[in-house]
Amino acid sequence: MSADPLHVLANAGKGESTRTVLRVVILCLIAAAAIASRLFSVIRFESIIHEFDPWFNFRATKYLVANGFYNFWNWFDDRTWHPLGRVTGGTLYPGLMVTSGAIYHALRALTIPVDIRNICVLLAPAFSGLTAFAAYLLTNEMTTSPSAGLLAAVFMGITPGYISRSVAGSYDNEAIAIFLLVFTFYLWIKALKQGSMLWGALCALFYGYMVASWGGYAFITCLLPLHAFVLICMGRYSTRLYVSYTTWYALGTLASMQIPFVGFLPVKTSEHMPALGIFGFLQLLGFLDYVRSAIPGRQFQTFLWLFTGGVFSVALAALVVATSAGIIAPWGGRFYSLWDTSYAKIHIPIIASVSEHQPTAWPAFFFDLNFLIWLFPAGVYLCFQQLADEHVFLVVYALFGSYFAGVMVRLMLTLTPVVCVTAAIAASSLLDTYLNDKSPNPEDYRPEDSSDATSKKASKAGLKSTNKPVVGIYGFISKGVIVSAMTIYLLLFVLHCTWVTSNAYSSPSVVLASKMPDGSQHIIDDYREAYQWLRQNTKEDAKIMSWWDYGYQIGGMADRPTLVDNNTWNNTHIATVGKAMSSSEEVSYPIMRQHEVDYVLVVFGGLLGYSGDDINKFLWMVRIAEGIWPDEVKERDFFTPRGEYRVDGEATSTMKNSLMYKMSYYNYNTLFPPGQAQDRVRGSRLPEVGPTLNVLDEAFTSENWIIRIYKVKDLDNLGRDHASAAAFERGQKKKRPAKRRGTRYLRTE
Amino acid sequence: MRSLLSFFAFLFVAAVSAISTTGDRLLVVLDDVAEKAGYSKFFGDLESRGFKLTFETPKSETLSLFRLGERAYDHVIVFPSKAKGLGPNLTPSILLDFLNANGNILVTLSSGSAAPNSLVSFLAELDIQLPTERTGLAVDHFNYDSISAPDTHDVLVLSPPGPVRPDIKNFFSVGAPADQLLAFPHGLGVTLGAGELLAPILRAPRTAYSYNPKEQAEVVDDLFAAGEQLALVSTMQARNSARFALVGSVEMLRDSWFDAEVKKIGATKAVKTFNREFAKRVSGWTFQETGVLRVNWIEHHLDEVSALNESNPAIYRIKNDVTYTISLSEWSWDTWTAFTVPTNDVLQLEFSMLSPFHRVALGLDPSHSTPEATAYTASIKLPDQHGIFNFKVNYKRPFLTNVEEKNTVSVRHMAHDEWPRSFAISGAWPWIAGIAATVAGWVGFVALWMYSAPPAGERKKETKKTQ
Repeated sequence: MSADPLHVLANAGKGESTRTVLRVVILCLIAAAAIASRLFSVIRFESIIHEFDPWFNFRATKYLVANGFYNFWNWFDDRTWHPLGRVTGGTLYPGLMVTSGAIYHALRALTIPVDIRNICVLLAPAFSGLTAFAAYLLTNEMTTSPSAGLLAAVFMGITPGYISRSVAGSYDNEAIAIFLLVFTFYLWIKALKQGSMLWGALCALFYGYMVASWGGYAFITCLLPLHAFVLICMGRYSTRLYVSYTTWYALGTLASMQIPFVGFLPVKTSEHMPALGIFGFLQLLGFLDYVRSAIPGRQFQTFLWLFTGGVFSVALAALVVATSAGIIAPWGGRFYSLWDTSYAKIHIPIIASVSEHQPTAWPAFFFDLNFLIWLFPAGVYLCFQQLADEHVFLVVYALFGSYFAGVMVRLMLTLTPVVCVTAAIAASSLLDTYLNDKSPNPEDYRPEDSSDATSKKASKAGLKSTNKPVVGIYGFISKGVIVSAMTIYLLLFVLHCTWVTSNAYSSPSVVLASKMPDGSQHIIDDYREAYQWLRQNTKEDAKIMSWWDYGYQIGGMADRPTLVDNNTWNNTHIATVGKAMSSSEEVSYPIMRQHEVDYVLVVFGGLLGYSGDDINKFLWMVRIAEGIWPDEVKERDFFTPRGEYRVDGEATSTMKNSLMYKMSYYNYNTLFPPGQAQDRVRGSRLPEVGPTLNVLDEAFTSENWIIRIYKVKDLDNLGRDHASAAAFERGQKKKRPAKRRGTRYLRTE
Repeated sequence: MRSLLSFFAFLFVAAVSAISTTGDRLLVVLDDVAEKAGYSKFFGDLESRGFKLTFETPKSETLSLFRLGERAYDHVIVFPSKAKGLGPNLTPSILLDFLNANGNILVTLSSGSAAPNSLVSFLAELDIQLPTERTGLAVDHFNYDSISAPDTHDVLVLSPPGPVRPDIKNFFSVGAPADQLLAFPHGLGVTLGAGELLAPILRAPRTAYSYNPKEQAEVVDDLFAAGEQLALVSTMQARNSARFALVGSVEMLRDSWFDAEVKKIGATKAVKTFNREFAKRVSGWTFQETGVLRVNWIEHHLDEVSALNESNPAIYRIKNDVTYTISLSEWSWDTWTAFTVPTNDVLQLEFSMLSPFHRVALGLDPSHSTPEATAYTASIKLPDQHGIFNFKVNYKRPFLTNVEEKNTVSVRHMAHDEWPRSFAISGAWPWIAGIAATVAGWVGFVALWMYSAPPAGERKKETKKTQ
């Protein structure tokens, strides 16, 4: 009856209290395992913030800790998006920062002085332990099997789909948001089951916390009304539903509106309209239900239902009209790309340029979820067997979660909890069936046993009828085969999770690791080298222009103002940078002057074979710039007549004259014998004569040439243009304008 | 702000002893040091103004404009040379470096000798063109000195030059005696490019032209330049305010022409030349003795009733009222004086982010002005746009050093508690009343519910389920 490996122990302690103690111990061990498996990166590298967005969150947390909550709330950040600045306090989800700030102050109050960086690094693992617990609670609401919850907790704790966003150092909103997501669902199920205002209010409270933490809250905002709607359509309207939904909606919406970034969105945008519509619909149903119970009469009831349907469709029509009239904001671009995966590619290159917005490749499901992905349909099927209100929720969640996970890579994260829960239900009912050593009397027979067996292809003793128990599944061999197969799968799952976590998800991406020929690890630390150079060698307010990917890192590590960063709220500003990068020097220089750029930073992987460099991202810059200036930047000009994207001697002149190309390959051929300069990423031989730069001076190049920093020259002191000034410096004699025919220039003063 | 003022008053006192604002080491490059006797009055005037003169020939081994990477001299005068080049110590790039290092250069030319190659390419970098053969002669058949050049017409007699534009200050002819004329003997005219850094002091009269007496003695078939396009004395002020002047006729500076009398063709009597005063003014301008502007202080503060009025805060809020004041002084030969903007001109303040949101004229602020400094002030209302803005004063005029001041401030959005409260907005009263009505209604309903006994039939509802 109890959890798998502890079967013997559980049998030893039959008493309820022993089981409770065991359960607590197991949950603690699961939490410990969840945390431990996320520490690879800290052990391999160091306690460092990973990737891009976490660097902003870290910087914001430091600001919060240093300046207090009110200053954070009204924070105007003049070191990003130069010269526009960013109303950071009003454009972020503060939940993550406030959480770590609270932990920081709590620990200090307990006289445990912990560096804020360590809190930020370890926040995600700590919350993953809580997520495992929340998954346990949610599963226990779904099934009576005591082992399902524990299995769900284990799955949730170590599944790579969740670890991908919550390793130590991955200090992102998702770190706490997944816990809040699962816990809010648990509270919703609890509230719905009991029809309790208290649980509904708690659900609203955690929903508010979720809204404060992650933009993915819209998933809850849409899923709960959908669940309610499905229940109503199934004729399962009840006062429990009414009480729990209205409590959640009223309080939750109020709570969400307290976040400045959300503000009035819940009553203005289409994403939030289902929740509002179902709220109104429930009022109507509540009223009709009351009327129906008060006034009997079959025809009257039919009329009422028709009336209800009419009101609903009228409301829907009103919504459509209001949306097209512009009263309600239409769906955002990111939302459209959920329905049409090629939408972003055509209309919003900035969204399409982010790799995590790409559609999911099918092996990713197996990579992230391993054997859970095939237990998942079985679990959903088991839900249909019982199909109480909470099982409907699981079914709805599973349906939508899997659709969205198929559309966008990052939404694998929202699918993972339901996969863990349903897979745990499937696995536990299998184990419950086959680990039960008692042969039941025909009267004790329970329907789940047979249904589990049919859903498992592993059960060779095919059980077709649901009427009579077949002796076969109580036989030792069938039990042994199934149980040992399950054990092997579980062990393989652990192996797979550990392997994936250690190999795929534990790289900070700020520090690169490579293997030397002798197998020892070699750390490539160019990013931090360059950012440290910026921090120590440039003015405090030197503006750095780079592609937006590196904005947060420059802000966090180099502490210098940037033009654009990973908060891609202003497409035009990003396009401006894209234009400066993709145009010739003469066009770029005025743009850089206007934006007061002091340094330009590019990432170049040609020497090392680092493929994530700016030349490979270059077409996105061109596309984004072309979206704003279609006459000045043209993607076609960067391709050879045969349609190839080349960087060698065959490259188009637009490509060769673009600032990005020049900055990447400037002086690169001096590293090689003449004529043998080689780009190792694109595998092409570069022209013998490298590009010349007139408006920029090379300021810094990191050890492996990954980061190159250029200083923007001032205007020429003597009023010459940069090209002729640079030509003079190189010793070229100025051509005398000998014998000008045509019209002469005449000075008027 | 008071302490700021007194600090700058102290700086004033400290600066008064200098002769030129950039230094007094003056290098004179002559083909033959003995030539200097012919220019004794010019050099005497310079020495009397406090310059320490050093004479060198271009071929000298010891001649070096830089020493250990620093300027060895503050100013240079280059006299015409017979040599084809100026040697390795005065290459074009060294001369450019000298300008870039804030040194000032005065170059003189003469029609008698072709300009050295290095000088020609140096001038070409400044966008000043010489005739193709590196020499030429400016003549005017209507404005020549009938005493010294009755036949050749190559001693031009001109009235002291006024400002080339009505809105710039007159440095070179102000206060000139009405009966004195400028003699420009055997000089060379050049043409200036389109750059705004170039400004002519003395332009040839409309009837003048330039030709090469050696090759075009008979017929002038290819005219280099004529009329006012021919600049006789021209200047260039670099962006770092280093100054360069080109005098087309070195003979202008000779003692003989300082004392000479000229008689313009058609005039009845001979008059004294203005050359000595003109040479003083041109050299004084070049060596930063006149027309040097200094920004003493800049102050901006919140101009609101209940504000702290802190000086130069780094951050403002949108729609704040802000006052900006800038104090300027002008160096005039030996003292800092109050700088007054010319009558047709105006000093402007820009408040800009990417493009100006405000461009307003700065008005005189008598309360902060002193005899040595003038304060200009303007009050603006900040735009309804947050961002990183600059207070910019960009005052660049010919013959005045560049004033380009940029003070960066952030303009933040309204904080969450800076908006008016809802009850202060009359338009919100219906909604507030609605909330009050709802609250009162709900409390009333609850009270009614709690204190009315449930009828017996009410229980039945509980048992009804939809399914």
